[in-house]
Amino acid sequence: MLENIFVSSLNWLKNLMAAVELPAPLADMLILVIKLAAILGFILINALWLVYMERKVSAFIQGRIGPNRVGPFGLLQTTMDVLKLISKEIIIPAAADKKLFLLAPLMIFVPPLAIFAIVPFGKGMAAIDLNLGVYYFVAMASLSTVIIWMAGWSSNNKYALLGGMRVVAQMVSYEMPLILSMIGVIILTGTLNMNGIIQAQEKVWFIFLQPVAATIYLIAALAETNRTPFDLVEGESEIISGPFTEYSGMGFAFFFLAEYANVLLVSVMATTLFFGGWLAPFGWTFLPSWFWFIFKVYIMVFIFMWVRWTFPRIRVDQLMGFAWKVLVPLAIANIFLTGLGKYLFLS
Amino acid sequence: MFGKGLLKGMKITMVRFFKPKETVQYPEVRLPLPDRFLGKPEFYYDKCIACNQCVAACPNNVITLKTETVEKKKIVTQYYFDQQYCLFCGLCAEACPKDALKFTKDFELTQYKRQDIKLKFVNPEQVAKKKAEVLQAALEKQAAQEKQAAQEKQASADKQIASEKQAAGNEAAAGVC
Repeated sequence: MLENIFVSSLNWLKNLMAAVELPAPLADMLILVIKLAAILGFILINALWLVYMERKVSAFIQGRIGPNRVGPFGLLQTTMDVLKLISKEIIIPAAADKKLFLLAPLMIFVPPLAIFAIVPFGKGMAAIDLNLGVYYFVAMASLSTVIIWMAGWSSNNKYALLGGMRVVAQMVSYEMPLILSMIGVIILTGTLNMNGIIQAQEKVWFIFLQPVAATIYLIAALAETNRTPFDLVEGESEIISGPFTEYSGMGFAFFFLAEYANVLLVSVMATTLFFGGWLAPFGWTFLPSWFWFIFKVYIMVFIFMWVRWTFPRIRVDQLMGFAWKVLVPLAIANIFLTGLGKYLFLS
Repeated sequence: MFGKGLLKGMKITMVRFFKPKETVQYPEVRLPLPDRFLGKPEFYYDKCIACNQCVAACPNNVITLKTETVEKKKIVTQYYFDQQYCLFCGLCAEACPKDALKFTKDFELTQYKRQDIKLKFVNPEQVAKKKAEVLQAALEKQAAQEKQAAQEKQASADKQIASEKQAAGNEAAAGVC
């Protein structure tokens, strides 16, 4: 019952549309719109919740209590913050490129939304079960680089420009080890479909078969989301807020929330690739598959936050050196060893 | 091992995560203040003998004291404590021979208006009451003195009469001899 709650409610809706004799293309389109709206709601609610969670986790690590005044346990704090930001003026610098400046925050939620469309949230619960899922993820995830660069460039501010350049440098560099670490998993499964990858982990999770790839993925994912120890992009103490320096009000809020959408995204991908996705651990199937998926994703998110509030920021030269001299060779060696292992195992 | 330091840091933050929190929910919960804490001063008008020692003890000239003499007795009519200059050294309270000035543990000293910072301890009713008391006491004292003086006079007059009588008796006795 609980297992199929989302799938069966969607089926009920399909049947309803068939009953009122809606033309098939229109019905399909409506279903897709509903799916995407649900995903958008999922992303936005999670972004709000993750800001709250981040503040709580950072507070707990630093021996504080964190927000606890607005609503029960301060749960409405971020909602109120966003409401405040909506009510604030959007200041556009006189020298800024107005079109790009306003377009960047509008576009920032597009890549996460596009990627979440293919994420299997549970058994048979991917909005679109794409054959080339992992490939699509990599392609779409790299788009946010362009959007943040857009924000940095159009602001016409030296800090924003510096931040934008750092974004491009960092995210392009770290995409290499990120993708190379995924290849190890793909060699083992022989598929790019995310459901296929999850089903291949029925017996053993890939973190046990690919520990090096998992470690590289986690490090590169940290860098991809621009969070400490790789938060050079924002680097408050050096370049104010990087590409977001000139943004105010809702423009800033969008970037802020998109950061958490990206954190969720890399956590989802880590769960899918290395932690068995929606598969229940130890055969504990009494809880629905989507619960396990969300549960694992939140453990990953917690690990990202834990890392963020533990380590200081890395230096720019160290950042590049670490990506190209350590992570990329390691990932390539991992691919080679995995291929060798598979060849020996099969022959 | 490479990366050992990172794990050490992660362990420290995880331990911190579960430790009890340091934050005190201030307006609702307050930490106990030390015994010798000096906060907002408090003045007991009735104990004050207008000796001016607190004024002399203060290094910052915070205290202004105005007095009036009623029936040879000094009465405090105004006692200003300009708190913005106070350094809470407590010398005034130490100097006071009658413990008329004390520091409480109230540390919330902010005011909405600047003139409210200057504490005015004495109100006119208190002064009027004290004046009336002093006058009353003086009158009573005077009455008592008069009464006593009258009694003494009476007593001395009686004594004189008695001694005169005795002298007369003595003389009589001498004459008999």
